[in-house]
Amino acid sequence: MTPTGPPVPETRQRILEATYTCVARWGLAKTTVEDAAREAKVSRATVYRAFPGGRDELITAVVSWATVEFFARLYEEVHDAVSLEEVMERGIAFAHRSILEHDVLQRVMQTEPETLLPALTVESNRIRQGIAEFLVPYLRQRGVAEGVDTGEAADFLARMVLSYISAPGRWDLDDPVQVAQLVRAELLAGVVAAAPSALPP
Amino acid sequence: MAVKGAALRVVDAVTVGGRPAASPRPPSADGAPDRSSPHRLAVVDATLACLARHGTLKTTVDDIAREAGVSRATVYRAFPGGREEILGAVVDTEMARLFSALGASMGAADTLSDVLVNGITEAYTRITTHPALTYLVEHEPEVVLGHLAFDESNRLLATATRFVGPFLARWMDPEESARVAEWSARIVLSYCISPSARTDLADRRQARTLVETFVLPGIRALRAPDASDPIDLNRYAADHRAGGPTA
Repeated sequence: MTPTGPPVPETRQRILEATYTCVARWGLAKTTVEDAAREAKVSRATVYRAFPGGRDELITAVVSWATVEFFARLYEEVHDAVSLEEVMERGIAFAHRSILEHDVLQRVMQTEPETLLPALTVESNRIRQGIAEFLVPYLRQRGVAEGVDTGEAADFLARMVLSYISAPGRWDLDDPVQVAQLVRAELLAGVVAAAPSALPP
Repeated sequence: MAVKGAALRVVDAVTVGGRPAASPRPPSADGAPDRSSPHRLAVVDATLACLARHGTLKTTVDDIAREAGVSRATVYRAFPGGREEILGAVVDTEMARLFSALGASMGAADTLSDVLVNGITEAYTRITTHPALTYLVEHEPEVVLGHLAFDESNRLLATATRFVGPFLARWMDPEESARVAEWSARIVLSYCISPSARTDLADRRQARTLVETFVLPGIRALRAPDASDPIDLNRYAADHRAGGPTA
C-alpha cells in the first residue's frame, strides 16, 4: 500500500467515473473503496495510491468531480452568449433544469443530504469564485453602474445565481418571462450602467 | 437524523401555524398542558449553553439538567419527549427570538432603505455570532447544512418571507413585499454561509452600500407604473424565445 508515485490522471479520472457509477447505484454512504475498485477494474491499492485518504477522500473527490462536470456543462451551454443578460438568463434556466433532472443529485439529496452537503459546501466557495470570474468579461463589456466595483458586482451576481438555482423560492424558473424579470431586477438593475435595453445589444 | 427531524417540525410550526412568530416565547407555548412548565425556558437556555460548548452529539439530558440547575425529572416533566423534544424547542425558541429581534429592529425604521439595512444587519449579526450555531457550523456542519440547501432552503426562505414581508408593506404592495423579503433573506443566507472578504453585513455602513447599490434599483426596476424606464419584459421574452435556446 506504499505509494510508488503519482497516479496518472487517466487512472484518477477512471476511478472517479467508476465511483460516480457506484454512487448512482447505491448512494454515497454505501459506496466503498472495493466497489469503486471493482467498477473501475483496478486494484484496491491503485485506488489508495490515487486517493491516499481512502474512502473519505474518494467521496469528497467524487462530489467535487460531479460538481465540476455540472459546471462544465453549464459553461458549454452559455459560453457563446453575446450579452450579460443573455448569459445570466440562459445560465439560470439551464442550471435550474439540470438540477431538477439530475437523478443522482436528487436521490442523494433526498436520502443522505448529511453526507453530501458538507462536501458541497466546501465546493461552493470555489464555484462562486468560478462563476464570478466567468462573469467579469461580460460585466466589462456591458459596463457597470457608476460607483460599482466590477469584482464586487461579479461576487454579488455569483451569490445570487447560486441562491436561485439551488432554491428558486417564489420564482418559476421554467418560465422565460420570469427568468428575464429576475435577471433584470434582482440581479442586474443595480449592477449595470443603465436600465437594460429590451433587446440584447 | 433525529436533530434534523426535530428542527424541521419546528420550522413547520412557525411557518404553517400562522401563530405570531415574533413572540419571545416559543410559538407553541400557547396553552398545551405539558408546555406550561416554568422550567421550559431555563432548560432551553441551558441547552443552548451546552450546545455552544459540546454540540448535539455530546450533550445529554444530564448535562442539560446540571446546566439548568434542576433535576432530570424536572427536565422530563417539562419535555416528556426528552432530548429530541428539547432540541426541537431550542430551534423553535431561537427562530422566535431572531424574528422578534428582527421585528423590533425593522419596525423602528422610517425609510425603505433603513428597514432593509436594519433587517439585514440584525439577522446577519445574530446568525453569525450565535454561540451554539457557530459551534455546530464548525463541528457538526451536517446538522445545520440540511436546512440551507435545495428544498429545505425553499422552506426557510418561505418562513422568512412570511415574517419579513409585512414589515415592507408601508412601501410596497403585498406581492412586491414578499418578493423583496425573499430576496433579502437570500442575501443574508448567502453572506452567512460564506462571508465575504469585501462586504461585512454586520457593519451598517457596508450593509447600506449593498442595499442602495444592488437592492433598491432592483425594487425600482420592477415597479413599472412609476419607473422612468420600465422594462418591457414580455417583448424581451418573446424575442428571446424566438431565437434563444428555449425555443
